[in-house]
Amino acid sequence: MKKKKLVLSRSSFNERRNAMKSRVILGIVLICFVCVFVSGLAGAQQKGYPNKPIDLVVPYNPGGGTDVTARILSMYLSKTWRVAVNVVNKPGGRGIPGCYAAISAKPDGYTMLCEGHATSSIMDAFSAEKLPFDWRKRTWICRQTVDVVFYLTRPDSPFTSLKGMEKYIKENPKELRWGESGIGLASGAQFFYETKIPLDMVKHVTFTGGAMTTASLAGSHIDFAAQQLSEIKGFVDAKKVRALAVIWPERVPQLPQVPTVVEEGFPTIDAKGWHGISGPPGLPKEIVDKWVVTLREAAESEMFKKYADAVYKVIAFLGPKEFREYVDAEHKKYLELAKMLKIKK
Amino acid sequence: MDTFALLLMGFSNALTLQNLLMALIGSILGTLVGVLPGIGPTAGLAILLPVTTLLDPIPAIVMLAAVYYGAMYGGSTTSILMNIPGEIASIVTTIDGYQMAKQGRAGPALAISAISSFVAGTLGLVGLCLFAPILSEMALKLGPPERFGIMVLAFSMVISMSGKSILKGLVSAAIGMAIVLVGIDPYLGLGRFTYGTITLVGGFDFIAIIMGLFAMTEVFRSIGAQVSAIYDAPLRSLMIKWRELKQCITCMLRASVVGFFLGCLPGCGPGVVSFISYDFEKRISKNRGNFGNGAIEGVCAPEGANNATTAGGFVPLLTLGIPPSTSLAVLLGGLMIYGLQPGPLLFEKQPVFVWTIIASMYIGNVILLILNLPLVGMWARLVKVPYHIIAPLILLFCFIGTYSVRNSLFDVGTCLAFGFIGLVMSKLEIPFIPLSLAIILSPMLEEVLRQTISMGGGSIGVLLERPVALALIGAGFLAVGLTLYLRLRWARAEELFGLEQAE
Repeated sequence: MKKKKLVLSRSSFNERRNAMKSRVILGIVLICFVCVFVSGLAGAQQKGYPNKPIDLVVPYNPGGGTDVTARILSMYLSKTWRVAVNVVNKPGGRGIPGCYAAISAKPDGYTMLCEGHATSSIMDAFSAEKLPFDWRKRTWICRQTVDVVFYLTRPDSPFTSLKGMEKYIKENPKELRWGESGIGLASGAQFFYETKIPLDMVKHVTFTGGAMTTASLAGSHIDFAAQQLSEIKGFVDAKKVRALAVIWPERVPQLPQVPTVVEEGFPTIDAKGWHGISGPPGLPKEIVDKWVVTLREAAESEMFKKYADAVYKVIAFLGPKEFREYVDAEHKKYLELAKMLKIKK
Repeated sequence: MDTFALLLMGFSNALTLQNLLMALIGSILGTLVGVLPGIGPTAGLAILLPVTTLLDPIPAIVMLAAVYYGAMYGGSTTSILMNIPGEIASIVTTIDGYQMAKQGRAGPALAISAISSFVAGTLGLVGLCLFAPILSEMALKLGPPERFGIMVLAFSMVISMSGKSILKGLVSAAIGMAIVLVGIDPYLGLGRFTYGTITLVGGFDFIAIIMGLFAMTEVFRSIGAQVSAIYDAPLRSLMIKWRELKQCITCMLRASVVGFFLGCLPGCGPGVVSFISYDFEKRISKNRGNFGNGAIEGVCAPEGANNATTAGGFVPLLTLGIPPSTSLAVLLGGLMIYGLQPGPLLFEKQPVFVWTIIASMYIGNVILLILNLPLVGMWARLVKVPYHIIAPLILLFCFIGTYSVRNSLFDVGTCLAFGFIGLVMSKLEIPFIPLSLAIILSPMLEEVLRQTISMGGGSIGVLLERPVALALIGAGFLAVGLTLYLRLRWARAEELFGLEQAE
């Protein structure tokens, strides 16, 4: 029978040394991770608002239109207020959970929503079920940027103008494939609303992203779409997609050859994507004022204009009162469209 | 050749001392971020994007690309060592990678992961340089019907990756589809199984489910089995043997091709492609019996494929402005802030930008290989840490990683719940992979099926006019048929000769 004695042999020494090494390495790795996390907790020391990091909630995945706008805003605000303004993504559920999370946070100005058409007017108008919360109850701060929408068709399309498309649809019922996503739904729907073409005369295809819609147009899988400047500029320049008209009072400098809807005979069509800032209801006046003042300055500043141009956004500042009125008017209009699209009864 | 001259110009921009330093920092940060489960390239880029605004455009781009690549390299580390898939692209790596770790071969697993990523990533970049314009033209021709065909083909993998019982595989996939159903209809805003709560409107998060299912279940199981460490005996090999490396060469080449070409298709991200590459390799390899038990090709194929997909993903990203995955969407946003204007004319209008990015990706690949190979030894030793120390840490990383995706505690709860669900499933021998596949593929399947039917004015007949789509669907059925036939043959052979079934 082997006696159990204190083993000091070579192999067990190596064993224990290796186990020791493992623990040391683990310790070093842990310290590195802890440093990474702790560094994120660094706060500012100034008095008054803001004096700690602010969360700007984006109810969508990174990289999309709302996210990019939030990022350029956060870059400007971080520099101006000397406080970290962090973009926090809470994607999923068409933006509803993220939006709700932001507007039901404490109204202390440290959690704000990067707002847009999709989290306000469209969110309610184009939802077949009643929203689980009152979308109007929030502090509307301001609108900051706007995305210009274009009407588009595929490069080998049989028509070259909006009136041409109207004629085409009437002569070839159930042929036209209308692809849309996001603001494209409201924008495209307005065309059918104005021309009183019933929706069962076209084939309605829904996409989940503007980039895919534009690519499908370029690949001739759909015939008509309405998308934002940032999504289509490259394609129009490369002649892979034909722009029929721009939904804007005058021609846009980035694509000056595209006529306006006014020129094309549809002066009442008005649709645009937009982004701004909102907060939980009951936000104190000083905090609201601070945001309004800073964002108004941003709208005039060279730095912000440079960022906005790079991502194809037009600066279009609206203060709190005008913003609120704008959203209400847009919502009313979209409710009409929703009835036509049979989303709402 | 013109392309070569442009590439050299790109290198001359990217190889300045400052840029090399940026690439190095980016690679290290990216790897660190990638190793943290749940915090994949997406979050890493999102976190580091503001930092890069302090730099000039070209160093900033170099750094962003390096962070992205680093995160792709880092993601497999926790998959192999602890069965924690940090992102969807790393799920498949856990199948054989973790088995290798349990056999004391974590070193070779990590090493082949780095080497395969390097080879396939570099080859993918070569493909990007040579074929980008042509491929983007071809990618445009693939519309909803063709993407439906791809989904059918991808779904056929559910059958082949079911393990012993196809019926249980189908059950697993059905559970996955049911889980994904919870949420909100993307077209009309109708709630599905939301029971009036706002939280369920957001549905369940992929990463939470997958971390729960793979990492948590494994922790619970190991605690139940009272293991003393992930691997207990002395570590035999910290580095890969030449013989094993040579075995993997053809595997790496195949993974590069599969990964790159599939990566060019918008909608085919590294996750799906890693599955496809694994499945393909399993069918073709001579070593197929070992897949699932620590076959080195089982790590080599998906790791190579997901890096090649990254390069392939740059094709639609740069030429069409379509980011094939969320992380590339963030990269795109960052690049646009620096003045990049993606579109079909990008290569012509902004050659300096584009070729500098491509050159810096090559450099990033090299730096990452040099960084990661020596670290393999260090990482591999982590499997020897006593389990009572490492298990709580695994749980901690899972929770932090899960929370970081959507900043939601509900997700953390989901992760925990799926840990227990996974325990039940493993007792019932219901495989996890079909569930994971279903979760990844179902949303896309619904989207493209719906689009295809809308394009046909309400009928699926439009498929009959699209030969490519029909070919893809046919291939899917063929793949299923082949799998079933081979299994039947084995079953009969087993019956007739009493042979052990080689799974």
